[in-house]
Amino acid sequence: MAELTYREAVIEAIAQEMRRDERVVFLGEDIAKAGGVFKATVGLWEEFGDLRVRDTPISEQAILGAAMGAAMTGLRPIAEIMFSDFLAVCWDIVTNQIAKSRYMTGGQVEVPLVIRTANGGGARFGAQHSQAVENWAMMIPGIKVVAPSTPADVKGLLAAAIRDPDPVLFFEQKSLYATKGEVPDGEHVDELGKAKVVREGDDVTILALGLMVPRAIEAAERLQAEAGISASVVDIRSLVPLDTQTILAEVKKTARVVTVEENPRLCGWGAEIASIIAEECFYDLDMPVVRITTPHIPLSSADELEDEMIPSVDRIFESVRREVD
Amino acid sequence: MAKKATAKKKAPASKAKNRAGLNDDIGEENRLRMWQLQLEVRHVEQRLHDLFFQNLIKGTSHLALGQEAISAGFGAAMRPDDYTFCTYRGHAHTLVRGTSMTGMIGELMGKECGMLKGKGGSMHLTDVSKGAMGSYAIIGAHLPIAAGAAWQAQYNNTGQIAACFFGDGTTNIGAFHEALNFAVIWNLPVVYVCENNLYMEYTPISEVTAVEHPAADRAGAYGLPSIIVDGNDADAVFRVATEAFDKARSGGGPSLIEAKTYRHSGHSRADPGTYRPEGELEEWLKKDPIPMYRQRLLDFGVKEDVVSGIEDAVLQAVDEATEEAKASPTPPMEYAYTDVWADGGSSWRN
Amino acid sequence: MDVIMPQMGETVAEGTLTVWHKKVGDTVSSSDVLFEIGTDKVEMEVPALADGVLTEILVAEGDTVAVGTKLAVIQGEGEAAQPAAPKPEASQPAAISTAPLKERPTRDRSMKLSPVVRKLLAENNLAHTDIVGTGRDGRIKRGDVLAYLKAPNAAPTAPFPAEAPGAVSGEGITVVPFSYRRKMTAEHMVRSKSTSPHVLQAVEVDFSAVNKARAKIGPDWKAREGYSLTYLPFIAKAVCSAIKEFPHINAHIEKDHLVVFDRVNLAMAIDLNFEGLVAPVIRDADLKAVTEIARATNDLAKRARADELTPDEFANATYTITNNGSFGTLITAPIINQPQVAILSTDGITKRPLVVEQDGEDMIAIRPVGILAQSFDHRAIDGSYSGAFMRRVKEIIEGKNWVESVS
Repeated sequence: MAELTYREAVIEAIAQEMRRDERVVFLGEDIAKAGGVFKATVGLWEEFGDLRVRDTPISEQAILGAAMGAAMTGLRPIAEIMFSDFLAVCWDIVTNQIAKSRYMTGGQVEVPLVIRTANGGGARFGAQHSQAVENWAMMIPGIKVVAPSTPADVKGLLAAAIRDPDPVLFFEQKSLYATKGEVPDGEHVDELGKAKVVREGDDVTILALGLMVPRAIEAAERLQAEAGISASVVDIRSLVPLDTQTILAEVKKTARVVTVEENPRLCGWGAEIASIIAEECFYDLDMPVVRITTPHIPLSSADELEDEMIPSVDRIFESVRREVD
Repeated sequence: MAKKATAKKKAPASKAKNRAGLNDDIGEENRLRMWQLQLEVRHVEQRLHDLFFQNLIKGTSHLALGQEAISAGFGAAMRPDDYTFCTYRGHAHTLVRGTSMTGMIGELMGKECGMLKGKGGSMHLTDVSKGAMGSYAIIGAHLPIAAGAAWQAQYNNTGQIAACFFGDGTTNIGAFHEALNFAVIWNLPVVYVCENNLYMEYTPISEVTAVEHPAADRAGAYGLPSIIVDGNDADAVFRVATEAFDKARSGGGPSLIEAKTYRHSGHSRADPGTYRPEGELEEWLKKDPIPMYRQRLLDFGVKEDVVSGIEDAVLQAVDEATEEAKASPTPPMEYAYTDVWADGGSSWRN
Repeated sequence: MDVIMPQMGETVAEGTLTVWHKKVGDTVSSSDVLFEIGTDKVEMEVPALADGVLTEILVAEGDTVAVGTKLAVIQGEGEAAQPAAPKPEASQPAAISTAPLKERPTRDRSMKLSPVVRKLLAENNLAHTDIVGTGRDGRIKRGDVLAYLKAPNAAPTAPFPAEAPGAVSGEGITVVPFSYRRKMTAEHMVRSKSTSPHVLQAVEVDFSAVNKARAKIGPDWKAREGYSLTYLPFIAKAVCSAIKEFPHINAHIEKDHLVVFDRVNLAMAIDLNFEGLVAPVIRDADLKAVTEIARATNDLAKRARADELTPDEFANATYTITNNGSFGTLITAPIINQPQVAILSTDGITKRPLVVEQDGEDMIAIRPVGILAQSFDHRAIDGSYSGAFMRRVKEIIEGKNWVESVS
């Protein structure tokens, strides 16, 4: 095990897969010579060269279109969309083309590619560079949606995404790039579609994703220490496929569920999970499912205003303590 | 005007050198093939049109009657392993790659024999086994996708090219410009073909475009030569196609070609085309590529029975395909739930 | 004060009066539950909201009336009685009273049971009133139910302490593991006691009339049938006859209602030579003669002890008699065989001095006397009903011409 940052784990995963498979190519804005605006691709161009690590113009439709065309003809492209907010300018390629081509062609077309993108807030970038848009992606049949919260998961899940025969939208949380964690040495490949119980507890289950996972864990520690509430924390990790078995098992165990979502309130991923819980384990519930989300408001840039909106440790702690009594 | 001159300069040069008769640079075999491809496209599309009015085909369909010389000319110039990307008006481009007529007619009829299992329909015809990499129904989307396929050919040094067909209306959408710039800076083996049939949908393209030639006049912005070709002349199309493909295969990068043509039918099944000025259609019908090409073959000395024999064979094939498609059962219900994921299924949860 | 149908929600226009908790003449206080109402949305207990005497009930149980309809009258102290108002027609819109309710009745939060709590209560035959809620506003949480079930002596379906001391045989101790039948009996008895509020009533019965019949045919019977003609079939016959007049004795409780049976399927509790207890059924006992009941009882007992009864022979009992008389017991308080509403114990019948009236004079006579004791479920019936039934059983046993019955 080595301690790596979240961004170093991105580099390790891509390098691991590019060394293994010649078909893996990587394109995006400023990803090659500049090493990425978040420095999450440093050294890849130096190792793999112009042919495999390619800078692109600011043309998100071209980036994803080219990635798709290459994927459907035999390559395994990784495309970077610098900020997840920019997915809006190439959403046609994601939702109409990449996600639907296999189905529309009766299974003829395969699109094995990964779209990496920096998602979420906390960096004071304002409303167009801070959104958590994982719920946009979750709504589209035909695309897998992954969002790791730790360096180990970044490495394992990104490697798994690159090897996956289906298109994967891979959300890296930009506020987590500098965080550190133990990452397995050598080849490390995880499994898509598996949630992880990252903290065991009996009284309430907190479901979280991305940046909300470390916050949920911290809130759970405080709940234990200050309120005697034993909270389990589940890192959802993958919205599609969704590991409903792990989620429902935790819900049945604790009978209480709180989702912590960075996406805005309406149609956030927690709404879907709440509906699954209501349908499938209603009779195991001891309190209504509670959702803690960013309000349905564009994000602000000022420190205090942004912090007010995105679910914080305090807010998670207070909400859970209030509801679980 | 300078750009137009470029095209004119090229055409006479090849004419002087090559147009010596049936066995010139194109040759009899290619000509008979293009004759057959044009007839296949024409008769299949007319059959589709008829089937619509018998209510055996639902949904929408965009016919390219009158534009057959373009798909036939490019199709005849392609290698079997080349890639075709086309639009929702893509029956022609898919058919000229040698795909099954039964699969196509059956797909539009929503039958099990359909090439997409009844899951795509008219606007998404695809036959990967023949290099027909898809019909794209969102304007502009397939231009960067074609660039990606060309990138694969470049990366693996396969000598393949990607041919990407689109209408004049596509030249005003962002993806057109992103893709051209991208293809040029990466020097990709992709050939972009704008079929300018004068109408974006119902509106004349000239009313909504800043330049006279929507594709050719923009080529210079990406450092490409301006190429315009008579899209109703399969021979002319074949020559520009061959030249562009050779350039692409030899590392010369992409091309943008504007083929002037006219669609005899409306934009789609629902459009009678009443917005067209009186007499315009009649003028273009005089330039209908199929009678023109028939006459050319006869002028070159090809025997009437050969010419007619090909047409009879095509009609018979269309009839047989129609009957096969009619006889095919409707798709099994489980098709609705397959092919979302690589494992063949559609499950989003465990 | 007039009691009116309250408005239970913005969009509710009428309600059904489901239960009156008081009857005319009862003294009520303002906090007493007076009646219950139900709508398509809620069910609610409504307090009297006034002190006094319930002088009139104007709407019967089960009637649906408009919000504001006068339901009853409570006459306060010193308040003059008012002439009775005519009973309003069901569902007829009535003027909405402007008199505001003293307190808008709302269901308290402790009654909002979560799905898992409802499930646990149902699975363990518990009522929410059994559990103390520790949640906000007294809400019952899942943990409260689990804690209740874990607590010793509290779990009705857990008849044995969860963690029994690990006793072993030896050193003057013999550990006797419970058989499966023992465990089942234990579970049933605990569940019955926790489900039904048991009330015991007993009558003393003179069996002289029965003895006349026994004396007349008994010796022949014994010779012919191979066993004695006991008191039991006579008691059973009397019970079946009395049930015809008091049908609610012959019933099951299901959820919130009573299922009353036309036929009497009489369960006979049979001891298996101290190895357990079973209660097979004499079907349609009310249609059978005393001698037929005697034969059926003997047959069941014999086959029960030989373990030859089929599961069907235990099904669908409607009333149970347990006979402890052979041991000379004075009185036994039996536990109801769920989901029936009552059970009768027959105890020892012995010759005792009894004060009898003969020719208008009291005198002491020696009579065969025994006590019949019935436990009944107070949810289903009241003491008056049960008592009247018992009185009728006694009358039949003492007054019937049993000689005719067996001849």
